[in-house]
Amino acid sequence: MTAVPLRYRVPWKRIVVYVVAAAFALYLVLPFYWIFAMSFMREVDAVSVPPEWIPSHPTLDNYLSFFRPDSAQVLVGGRAIKETPYALGNSLIVASATALLNLVLAVPAAYSFSRLKFRGGKGLLMLYLVTRMVPTIAILIPFYLMMRSLGLLDNYGSLILSYLTFSLPVTIWVLKDFFRAVPRELEDAARVDRCGWFRSMWSVFLPVAAPGLVAAAVFAFMTAWNEFMFALFMTSTEAAKTMPVVAANFATDMNTQFTLMAAAGVVAVLPPLVLVLIFQRLIVRGMAAGSVKG
Amino acid sequence: MMLRLTETRRAYLMNGPAMIVLFALVAYPIGYSFWVSLHRQNLKRPKATKFIGLDNYFALWNDPAFLSSLRTTGLFVLVVVTMTVLLATALALVLNESFPGRGVLRSLALLPWAMPGVVNGLMWRTIFDAKTGALNGLLTSLGLIDAYQAWLSSPAGAFFLTAFAQVWNTLPFAVILLLAGLSTIPPDLYDAAKVDRAGVFQRFRQITLPWLLHPLLIVLILETMNSFRAFDTIYVLTGGGPGDATSVIAVLNVKTALTYTDFGLGSAYAWVITLLTLVVSVGYVAALYRKGSFEL
Repeated sequence: MTAVPLRYRVPWKRIVVYVVAAAFALYLVLPFYWIFAMSFMREVDAVSVPPEWIPSHPTLDNYLSFFRPDSAQVLVGGRAIKETPYALGNSLIVASATALLNLVLAVPAAYSFSRLKFRGGKGLLMLYLVTRMVPTIAILIPFYLMMRSLGLLDNYGSLILSYLTFSLPVTIWVLKDFFRAVPRELEDAARVDRCGWFRSMWSVFLPVAAPGLVAAAVFAFMTAWNEFMFALFMTSTEAAKTMPVVAANFATDMNTQFTLMAAAGVVAVLPPLVLVLIFQRLIVRGMAAGSVKG
Repeated sequence: MMLRLTETRRAYLMNGPAMIVLFALVAYPIGYSFWVSLHRQNLKRPKATKFIGLDNYFALWNDPAFLSSLRTTGLFVLVVVTMTVLLATALALVLNESFPGRGVLRSLALLPWAMPGVVNGLMWRTIFDAKTGALNGLLTSLGLIDAYQAWLSSPAGAFFLTAFAQVWNTLPFAVILLLAGLSTIPPDLYDAAKVDRAGVFQRFRQITLPWLLHPLLIVLILETMNSFRAFDTIYVLTGGGPGDATSVIAVLNVKTALTYTDFGLGSAYAWVITLLTLVVSVGYVAALYRKGSFEL
């Protein structure tokens, strides 16, 4: 039988797989580990040569100082350190609102593509895709001028509206694919039971499609959380500055302590990271489905 | 007929809100942007706003900053896309094997995706730092360099390290698409090949690669578009410098609009970029569609 030569090939391939897997694990983790470790160091230890790979005097001071900065830190951390707690709140509000609004707008649209046959449907779907391809910078300036004349600069409103431009098309595409996977019979059965359209949608269809809704909401939340260009343009104070804007201030301010900057980075990455870890499977499915399908 | 009509009407009713929002927030601003690009308009001198026709566009042809940023962007896209495709293919192939720890590696592969571009830039900034960075520390302790280097102060160094940082950030997306592609390959194809005693490389060339071509094409499209508009990481890591070594189109555009508040010229930049991206992406999608491998 062929079993004997196969058994001899296996170890060689295994070794390659293990080595490559280990190399990738290091590549993926080490950069993040570096700022993570740094965020728990004292500044003296963080700038030591050769570098400390493990904090020798671990401390939570960097994180605590966002909430009660001492005068010396305010001096070196500039405004950024005081703005961090506000930015965290702003980012949470803006990203959640964006996710919610995305669902409200995209659910009916995606439902129509998954259940109804209508003239111009394909064209419309294509149009949504083209909208997504418009580069952010193309609408940055007119958006700024529009928001200024509406008095929405440095305000949650301008951020949420701008984030809809690139998250809504994706949400519609992702939901459309999830919705198509929901069996039609479920709604038919509900209709036989004399459920109205709204009730069959609310209590039969949407619960079954819930994984898709969660995936789409997480996507929208993350795009909004990570966005930087619009936020840089349209926010100027702690009233609306988001985490990426404040984190960038840490990085571009020459006086900043490395440890404070690292802590700000960790704070800024934590919410999306937690979401990714919790909803891993769904996100992977949604990402694969939401891209152009093959 | 009756039913069809009401169905169409219902569909448009359901798409109405999304259409209105996207029209107001995307289509209108793009039109408005074109209008602004026909003006001399600088926020610093609001009184001097004047209609100048296509002059901003003509100015682009002789604008060294713009032309050099086009070149930089082109090279950046090339480097980032090539590195991403190679690394993502390798990682996806490994993740497609079964070995203990695969689940962990899969989770780890998502880590860079969760990272905001700004944090990515900030992270690599501390790593590449000339006085205290991890890269210097690592290379010195391995005996590969004698003295700490200022990696980001040479134009070539800054360019490639920026590309490297960008690749780290965008890798997961490519990996997931390729992994999804790999999982559609019927396992009996490999079994049959094994019976025929085809080696690892033969199996890769004759089974894996043909099945992977389509997801690879999609990765190519999406990564091209992504790296074309790359901004956050570069802005934080090098700010476009040293000189204009990493001043890609998006960085130049933001500087023109935000720092110099030249909205007229900035809009002209943005319009040229939009047209370029749209031509490229519509071309891609049309090609996929004609091949029958694009589903609406």
